[in-house]
Amino acid sequence: MKVVTGVVGNDIHVVANRLIDISLQERGFDVFNLGVNTYLEEFVDAVIETDADVLLISSLNGEAEGWCRDLGILKNRFDLSKVVFMIGGNLSVGEVSIDEIIPKFKNYGFDLVSHQSDLNEGLDKLEAFLKERS
Amino acid sequence: MSKILIDIGSTYFKVCEKDKIEQYFRNFERNIFDDFQNRCGDILSQYAKEDIHICSSANGGLSTLIIGLTHSFSLKYATNIAYNAGINIIDTVLYSHIDEYTPPLEQIDVVIIVGGIDGVENIFDEKLLHYIRQISYHNIVYVGSDKSHDFLKENIENIFIMQNIITDKLKVKGEELKSYLTNLYQQDIMGKEDIKQLYEFTANQIYSTPYIVNSSMGMMYETFDVADPFILIDIGGATTDIHYSRDLVIDNIVSESEYDRLVFKKLGVFKSRDSLVFSAKNNEYVYELLEYLNVTENILEEHSQNATRVLMLLSIFLVLYKTSLHHNLYVNLQLEKLNSIIFTGGITKILSQEDVDMIVKFFYKKLFNFNNIPTLILDKEYKIWTLTMLKGS
Repeated sequence: MKVVTGVVGNDIHVVANRLIDISLQERGFDVFNLGVNTYLEEFVDAVIETDADVLLISSLNGEAEGWCRDLGILKNRFDLSKVVFMIGGNLSVGEVSIDEIIPKFKNYGFDLVSHQSDLNEGLDKLEAFLKERS
Repeated sequence: MSKILIDIGSTYFKVCEKDKIEQYFRNFERNIFDDFQNRCGDILSQYAKEDIHICSSANGGLSTLIIGLTHSFSLKYATNIAYNAGINIIDTVLYSHIDEYTPPLEQIDVVIIVGGIDGVENIFDEKLLHYIRQISYHNIVYVGSDKSHDFLKENIENIFIMQNIITDKLKVKGEELKSYLTNLYQQDIMGKEDIKQLYEFTANQIYSTPYIVNSSMGMMYETFDVADPFILIDIGGATTDIHYSRDLVIDNIVSESEYDRLVFKKLGVFKSRDSLVFSAKNNEYVYELLEYLNVTENILEEHSQNATRVLMLLSIFLVLYKTSLHHNLYVNLQLEKLNSIIFTGGITKILSQEDVDMIVKFFYKKLFNFNNIPTLILDKEYKIWTLTMLKGS
């Protein structure tokens, strides 16, 4: 199964990006890692070029909200109904309730949102979601 | 025996003999061969065919239409490779929105279709075929996913299939396409009937002048007082070429050559004068610029020495504008970092140092709000094109 991943926007947390890459590979995914400082359009374009099954965006600096709010618009431009969209990491600046964050990102168009949780826990959630979908 | 160098331009023939360069204005009522024979036949008869070296820019450049799957990968990679092969991009089409594009009316030299890493299936369908049927082209090439090979070969006559330019890790791999496009450019020159006939004079290959000029970029330090980073602008009768160090390109993804070039097919001051005027009239700064030059719009319709001078100044402004961050269609160069600009081509015979200072100052003031400009060097003797050819002896 193909996964496009990377760190969104002006975020340069390359170590976390590398750990996600390795963890995904360990779990048998075919990974296309776009690295840090990646724009939302590039993620969607990479999904199209690779015919990926999953787009997994990470963000640690808390600024993902500003970079990802146009996901819905981009999804409407292409037929991406079979793609699973996931975002994880630290998705807010300061103390914000998880009950507020998860609906917000789901409203942007993400199927799965993982805020301040363990990496493996997040990937378990992804695998469970994919299994359920199939 | 010494050799003789000849540049066949669209407006002038330039002949370099023992460091002395003569130029002859073309007689447009005759074809290139007859005109050249008439003017230079006596000189050429003194040389063996092996000692006669010819380059030509009389053909302009190639036009390209790129149809790609996404802006970030297929279109970006193919566009960059095409630029680096020295050809003109006239249009790009995003495949998902191909229905919304109006097919170009003019004949396209080469259509490039690209999309997907190898293994990705069902990318292209009837929409592509419908669009292709509406355009007129000389060459068509495919450089995308291998899974589309059969579909395209079955449905598009004479399509040339090459290695995918997108690797399995979404990186660019452009050597084969670049080589194909560069050869096409070369064949375009050799295929021109007028140029073919010139092989009667020489036993050597006839090269494109932009290629020859680009090859001389590394020799500029020996010839001119130039500081890195620099660009070279060659403004002739049919085309305007800009040669630049790759370090000046912000989005730099192709890495084989140190210097790249862009050929603006429609910014020449004689043969493509109409399209230059059209381009100038559509520029947002044109009226300010004409006022700055102390002329009115009427000058663009005149055929005087002053009109030619103004067109040359406009051409300099437009080529800088088109490569700046203010214009998205072409490669963006970091012009604010330039230390030197060298000017060569027909303009060096007409424009003075003050003229080029004036127009470049206007450009930098308008677009960057800079009062200081790079050092401007005029190749007054018009010898840049001879550097590579002389060294090759």
